[in-house]
Amino acid sequence: MKRVVVLGGGIGGTTVANRIRKALEGEVASGQVQVQLVDREGVHAYQPGYLMVVFEKMRPEETRRDESLLLHKSIQLVKGEVEKVDGAANKIVLKGGKDLPYDILVIASGSVIHPELTPGFVEGAHSFYDLENAQKLRGALHGFTGGKIVISVAGMPYKCPVAPLEVTFMLDDYLRNRGIRDKCEIHYTYPIPKVFGIDTVAQPMQRLMGERGITVHIPFNVDKIDPAAKSMKSVEGDTLPYDLLIAIPPHRGADFVGASGLGDKGNWIPTDRYSLKADGRENIFVLGDATNIPISKAGSTADYEAEVVTQNVASMVRGEAPTARYEGRVYCWIMTGLAQATYIKFDYLHPPHPPTPSFAHYWNKVIYNRTYWDLTARALF
Amino acid sequence: MSAAEGTEKGGAAPRMIVDARGSWCPGPLMELVRVIKEEPVGTEFELLSSDEGSRKDVPSWLQKAGHALLEVQNESGYDRYVIRKTH
Repeated sequence: MKRVVVLGGGIGGTTVANRIRKALEGEVASGQVQVQLVDREGVHAYQPGYLMVVFEKMRPEETRRDESLLLHKSIQLVKGEVEKVDGAANKIVLKGGKDLPYDILVIASGSVIHPELTPGFVEGAHSFYDLENAQKLRGALHGFTGGKIVISVAGMPYKCPVAPLEVTFMLDDYLRNRGIRDKCEIHYTYPIPKVFGIDTVAQPMQRLMGERGITVHIPFNVDKIDPAAKSMKSVEGDTLPYDLLIAIPPHRGADFVGASGLGDKGNWIPTDRYSLKADGRENIFVLGDATNIPISKAGSTADYEAEVVTQNVASMVRGEAPTARYEGRVYCWIMTGLAQATYIKFDYLHPPHPPTPSFAHYWNKVIYNRTYWDLTARALF
Repeated sequence: MSAAEGTEKGGAAPRMIVDARGSWCPGPLMELVRVIKEEPVGTEFELLSSDEGSRKDVPSWLQKAGHALLEVQNESGYDRYVIRKTH
């Protein structure tokens, strides 16, 4: 029997486990192949929903499901925390001492937020990168009656690169709907000399910010936050006071990646951008946030990568060459208001050209949020 | 790979290759800012970018941040920026 082990029960891990099971349906049914998924809690979080929770467009409970309900019944869910991957022995060592052998390993362990890496972040900043803090921010905004709100990126890389844009535009709309926009200032900072990484996106987004009275501070790389003084300092030497700070926390890869000798300084796994194999490893694939590939750490990336990993795993199980290639495909919506959106679609060779924001694009995102559990996680289509 | 130790040039310390070709989101400059923060003073980087916007953005940010742009080479379909972290 061949064992395929998937690490991580997020978007990437869940969809790739279900897809591999489907691709190897006969082998799994006959017991020639076993698919196992390891997850610490056994609870699946739909992280793009957190921003929706902040602005009361999704309920907190709509962002979570029991992982066992999303996996096909023939996939074994192993609840446990990975201590390390022993690549030489082809086994996973779980905390508590249990070993899990594998023939093919898929690492989809995502990214972990580390607000404590930026001085003052924990005490001084709001964020929306976990459910608890998204709910706190929702409460803080509800009680906000006027003043200066600053949006900032406190570390790189971070998942969902467009999230700072989205929270800024949604906030503007939210304050207008409440009739207090004229009592509020919105300030947007970004680490480079434009509001987003490339011109095709940055230019229309900066134009929108101008139209909506949003002040831009670029480049601004957060050095530290002073919660007592309610101000933020940049490595460029600028000081920016705030009444309410919404910041993106620093991210790192999973701890076990470092303990296994698989990662770089940030615990991101060096990965071949086309085959999605971990560098120097023939039977370890990596997808989603866990890789060091310099594209969006986003659910869409993991979803497209899962198609490629599935094909390559199925080929290897059947003794064929794993020839499928990931071409860098990503598709992400960008909320430009509470009921308006655009999107970016790109691959390694073709940059994005976001269309004019519209209600129709927003509605597509709403539909995706509702159908995610079947469409992507269960991989039913 | 996005960042890896590359070849030695003329006996100097190994350069870190930052292969940001096809990095439209978050973008090559974001990758460069990230690795410059992580590495020690004196480290040299080769940033590979297929984004034409980098031709303006990279020198502009390096000037503002005070790091050195040592060389720019136009390759087939991308540009190679050689950079040293100076402080």
